[in-house]
Order: sequence, then structure tokens, then C-alpha cells
Amino acid sequence: MEVTKQNGRRKFLSKLASIAGTMGAGMALGDRSSAGPKENTSPTGWPSQLVINETAPKWNPRDMPKPGEKIHEFNIEVTIEKIEILPLEEHHFYTFNKSMPGPEIRVKEGDWVKVNLTNKTHDFHTIHWHGIYVPCEMDGVPLGTQYPVGYNQTFTYLWRAQPAGTHFYHCHNMTNMHIQAGLYGALIIEPYDGEDIVQKTFPYERDYTLVLSEVDTEFLREQMNEMLMMGEMMDAMNGSKKLMAKMDGHMMGWFANKEAFLKAIKDGWVPPYHQSRTGPAMRVEPNFFLINGRPYPMTEHMHIKQGENIRVRLINAGILVHNMHLHGHDFWHVCTDGSPLATPVRMNTVPVFAGSTVDIMIQGTNPGGWHFHDHSDISLMNNGKSPGGMMTMLMYEDAEEAGFKFKEIIALDS
Amino acid sequence: MKTNQIGTTMMALAAALLPTIVLGQAQQTPIPEEPSISPQISLNGTAIGTLEYHSPRIVLPSGIKSSSSRINLSDSALMLGISERLYRKGGIGSFVIGGTTTDSDKSPSGTEFFLHKLYLDYQTHVLEGYIGRTDTGTQLVDFPTLRGDDLNEFVNVLNPFSSGENIQEHRYTNQATVVLNRNLRSFLNLHAQNLISSSQNTVGQGGINSYGVNFQYQELAAMQALKKVPLWGFGYERQTPGSGFGGANNILYGGIVYNIAPDPVDRIDLRLQDIYGFGNTTSSFVNVTDTFRAPANTIAASLRWLHSPFGKPGHQISLTAGYKSYTNIRDANTLALALTGVKRLGSGFDLVLQYTYQHRQAAYAAVYSGVRDEHSIQLGFVFNFNHTFNQHLGPRRSLMNLQHQYIPD
Repeated sequence: MEVTKQNGRRKFLSKLASIAGTMGAGMALGDRSSAGPKENTSPTGWPSQLVINETAPKWNPRDMPKPGEKIHEFNIEVTIEKIEILPLEEHHFYTFNKSMPGPEIRVKEGDWVKVNLTNKTHDFHTIHWHGIYVPCEMDGVPLGTQYPVGYNQTFTYLWRAQPAGTHFYHCHNMTNMHIQAGLYGALIIEPYDGEDIVQKTFPYERDYTLVLSEVDTEFLREQMNEMLMMGEMMDAMNGSKKLMAKMDGHMMGWFANKEAFLKAIKDGWVPPYHQSRTGPAMRVEPNFFLINGRPYPMTEHMHIKQGENIRVRLINAGILVHNMHLHGHDFWHVCTDGSPLATPVRMNTVPVFAGSTVDIMIQGTNPGGWHFHDHSDISLMNNGKSPGGMMTMLMYEDAEEAGFKFKEIIALDS
Repeated sequence: MKTNQIGTTMMALAAALLPTIVLGQAQQTPIPEEPSISPQISLNGTAIGTLEYHSPRIVLPSGIKSSSSRINLSDSALMLGISERLYRKGGIGSFVIGGTTTDSDKSPSGTEFFLHKLYLDYQTHVLEGYIGRTDTGTQLVDFPTLRGDDLNEFVNVLNPFSSGENIQEHRYTNQATVVLNRNLRSFLNLHAQNLISSSQNTVGQGGINSYGVNFQYQELAAMQALKKVPLWGFGYERQTPGSGFGGANNILYGGIVYNIAPDPVDRIDLRLQDIYGFGNTTSSFVNVTDTFRAPANTIAASLRWLHSPFGKPGHQISLTAGYKSYTNIRDANTLALALTGVKRLGSGFDLVLQYTYQHRQAAYAAVYSGVRDEHSIQLGFVFNFNHTFNQHLGPRRSLMNLQHQYIPD
């Protein structure tokens, strides 16, 4: 199944609809599971007491699917694509299914997820399921929990979706470069019906996923080229027994253990971090700051109506902290890393740390067109020019009824 | 107190000069651009220093016999490349300037600096055009000798207008060139050259005095060690000495790099090149310039073993040989060989050792002070580097551009 960013979510949701019927109410749950609202709740429905064992998985991660249990199966392919993140600003990126970010995966808690990852590039890749209680072999750490996936190889991931909340997935091979290159995507695990305390407290119909990231286009190009050159050579050697015999770990910097690494150095191998091979360190200095793979003014707006609640899921796949600020409103910070806070916190600027996710609830209380952006203003630039970068708009669909006519102007530094 | 006074005076002087320096422009340009954007700056350098012993004693280009030993610093070079992206997709504009050291018997130090690069370059995906001084348009195959001008008369299409005093005149020329490519692997080079005219015999022939076309195929950089034929090409050149100097010379040339043992760790390759000249009527040698234009067939070949433990170059041993026979002149053949060893001590820093031998038949030896057999041994270091500041333009022949659609970044 081909999944693209544009139609992927619809396909996933239609799968959800079908699985909802098959799961029914009789799905076996672990000791910690419950089909209804938690008992220790405040009058608003928000849990008011600490549940000390809440970090334990509901289901044993090492279980396997039982007959009759529905499995969502997705095919994800890594390719190299040219993407124009801004007009005239075109770069090569790695992509999951030709989109950046990769397709959003949205399933219900307790569902099984099977992902067939196929690599069509000459670099190595994996998928790490960030924040998910997967069995160790499915964690996607190259040479840590699995061999990285080489050119034209397919690796199948299988895991049960837990815990509920806003998460993401990303390639974990040379993570810094591969995430900058575009290998990340949102992973939303929805709680069982009736269990979503955010929904109960702030009833909403629309939610938005904003994946935040940055890219240093110079670093990315240099590193991608370097890795592809090495990978191209390795793949060419792959067909020859004689040449494969010469391709020991030294060429890749791979060693069986610490002793083997130390022995290689004793034998004359010079590690890549040594200044004789690299000179001074190559700095990573992002020059474009992205929301869902695009910087302002190419970011997509969020929409709201007066009296409506919308849920915004912020996922920081990048390397910097982003302090997301909404003009003209306070909002409720309700979840971090997928998990509900002890109590929602009212704020207008929320830090989203690298590798972290934050869910906020915005209430339609002030009609207009409002900027929503990282307040670390260095991220509000495109290649050093303001305005740009990590900024989008919250647009009231009924602003005109309230007497406000918003006229959008794209103003770029001349 | 005195120091302070000097300091104050210097500061006042600096303050007076600074606005001029900052606001001043090197030269007038058709449309002044202020401020200019910060361009990409590449600095590329090679330093070669060798201790040498020659037998018999070295014969300088002027024919004077020198010592049998020397410290040779020739063929060291420093280049500066300035580039910027042009307004619309697909354009990069560059300017390159550089100098190289060359043997000289006019300089007390035995070395002079020669402006070997000075050109402006415009490139898009399918086209590159440049005007100025750079490598001659006829260069196809690089041979693994210590210096680029070793075995010069065997590996390069020679300049018939050169006096022979500066060997670099065979390798670098003023030219206007257009290079069309297909997938950045196959290159068609069309050029008109102004070969440097330094021979007194060719005064007045310093205009466009050579033009030609060649085709070259280059394999991906990553595949250079693994493909059987990573490079091949051929070309035609027409040089136009006046009728008083034998008339126009037509030259056909071709070359190939062949991997006998494709292997990223122990690579053995063979390089072959043939240069065949015809048309010029020179039938005897009066001076060295005559040897550059008389019709001849020249073959060069090298066998090289490159050992790259862990995929990084470690050491290299090569044997390069050349043979030249003149079509219209008897007893004028010559052959040469170079045995070269290189041990890599660090990134771009090598210990080198080279033995060279050249034999000349009598007619050819006559213009080299009668020296028929010549031996030399050289021991030294080579350092080369390439660094880019303000990087924002990628290499044109990067893998991504070659395999995943071109982006001029």
C-alpha cells in the first residue's frame, strides 16, 4: 500500500473505521486497562490523583498478535526526492513515501501496527518509534537493536500501539542528519472511545498536527553526499565475494565491541572524529525552520470558529527548543510526550523540547487572524532573512461575522 | 610614552585611510553592486618540495648546465575560487585566480611564479562556459607522476609557440571554452585557445592559434575504483603555426583509464594515452620549439597500485612510461619512464620518492645540449588541501545531482 502525506491520513482513518468494528468491546486488556473514564477524576473529568504505575505498558510489549486481532499494515519506502520548501529553494531530501514529513500514522491504542520499511537509497535507514512501548527488537536503533536496512532491503516492524497520545517516528541512523533530511512523521495513538480525557474536558472536532524541525541545508548536502558515496561503493562491492571480504568493519567504522574498536586503533585505524581526518568540527547551523516540512510563508494555516475548541499537537522532531507562542489568546497545555499533565496549564507560549511532544487546546475566543510561531526569533528566518521560518496562522472562519476582515499580506524582506 | 605616541599616530593614520579602503572598489564595474553578497570562497593549494640528484648535471631550458643536485619547489600552486549562485535556477558564476611555481634559470632562486589560472566561469546543469587562463582544453588523462609536468612531452599536447623555458606553457592556456554535458557524465568540450606564444620564432602568432573539440566520459567519483573503465575520451585539435613554421598541425588524441583490479582497497589501474600529430612540415630541429610542433606519435602509459587500507589512501606505487617518435625526422625518438612511490602521512600530506629516466636519440638530444640519457632521483614532501569558506554551493558532480535530478546548489 502506497501512503502519501496528502491521502495517507484518510486511508489510515478509513482503516480505523473498519477496525473499530472488528475490535468491538471484547478486546482483552491488561490489568491496567479500563474501558471507561478513570475513577480519580476532578469534576471536569481530568484525573486528579497520581497513578504511580501509569508508566507500565498496558500490554506486554513482547506479545504477538492473537488470531482474530486486527493488524494495520503499512508499506513505507525511503527515497531521495527534490523538494521545493520555498519558491526557488529546492533541496534533496530523504523521504518516507515521497513526503516530508512522512505520512501521519493514526491508530487506536491497543491496535497492532505492522510497517514494512523498504530502502530505495544507497544509505542505511531504520524507523524508531519514539515514545512507544515496543519490544526491544522493534526499537529501530541501527546496530543497537537491529541491523540497518540497506539498499533494496525491507525490514518489517510489528508492535502494539501503546501508550496513547501524540508521538512521532523517525529514522535513527545518523539521526541528526537523517531527521534534517526529512525522515520523520507524526504517530498519533488515540485512546479508546470514552477514555480521551482531553476530549472529555475540552470537546473538540478538529485537531492539527504540527511537526517542528530545522535543516542546515549545507550540512545536509555534504553529509548526504558523503554517505551516499560510501553506500554506493558498498552496494557495488556487494555482488563480489572477493570484494566483500575486504569490506570489514573498519571501512564503515563498525566494530563488534569496545575491544575490537580499541584493537583497530592499535592496528592503525584512525577514527573519523580525529582531527587528522576531519580538521575542525563541522558545525550544524540550521538556516530553515519548518512546520510540517515547510517554512513561512508556505506553512498551512490552522482554522477555528468562535466557541470552538481545537487540539494542536506539537511534535519537535528537530534539535532545538521551540517556544511556540500564540497571539491574542491563552491556551491550555494539556499533554506532554503524549501523556496528560497532572492538570492543564494556562499559557500563551509553550516550550517544545527536542524529541518532545506537546498538546495544546485553543479556544475560539478572539476572532481574527493570529500568528502562531516560535518565539526564539532566530527560527523566524529563512536563510537569515525575516520574516520566515517556524510560523503559521490561526484563522477564524467566522471572523467577518464578528466584524473583522482579515487580509493576508505576504511581506518578505526586500 | 614613545610607544603611545606611535600608537596614536598609527590610529589616526588608520582612521584617515580606513574609509577609503572600505569604500574603495578594486576596479570599476559596469553596474556597481553595493553591498555585494558574501560569496563562496574556495582555497586550494599544493606544495611540492623535493631534494634531487640528476645525472648528468641539470640542463636549464636556456641550455646552460647547472648543478647535479638541487632543491626543487616547482609545480607548487595556490588558487582562490570565488563563486555565487545566480538569480534564477541553474546558474552559478565563478572567478578563479591562481599561481604556480615554475623552474627558471632567470631567477636567482631558480623558481618563478606563473599565473596559471585566471578565468571566469558560468555554469548551469547542461552547460559550462569559461573564459580566461586555465588547463589546456586538450587534457584528458592525469598520470600518477610526482609533478604534473613530469614527462611533459609525453603526456601533454604540446604548445608549438612555446620557447620551452616555461614548461607550464604546455599545460595552461588562455581560452574560451564551452562544455556541454549529458547527465554530468559525458562531456563535450569545444574550445578556442590562445596558446602562450613565447618563442621568438612565433612572434605575432599570439591570437587564437589553436582550437578543437573533445569528448570525455567520467564515472561517478564513488565508482572510480570499482568500474572497469572509469574514464575515457578522445579529441581533435588544430594548431595554427604560420606557414613559415611548418604550417598548421592537426592532432588526434585519446586516452583511457582501465581498472585491471577494481578494488577500493588494492586498486591496480592502467592509464593509456596516444597523441598523434600530422600536417606540420617541420623536418628538422633547430631549437626546442621545433620539437613541439613537428609531427609525431606520442604514447604514454602508466601502471599504478593504490593501497587504501580501510578505504583511505595509504600508499601508491606507479610506473609511468612515454615514447615519442617523429614522423618526418629520423633518429629523433625519445622515451622516458618514472617510477614513483607515495606514502600518505596524513590527510593530503605525503612522503614521495621518484626515479626518472629519459633517453633521447641524437637528433632530439641535439636541442638538449646533446644529453642522450638522463637520470634523476627525487625525495620530498607534498601537501595539498582544498577548503571552502562560506559554503553554499555544492559540487556540481555530486552523487545526488548525478543520480537524483540536478539541483544547482
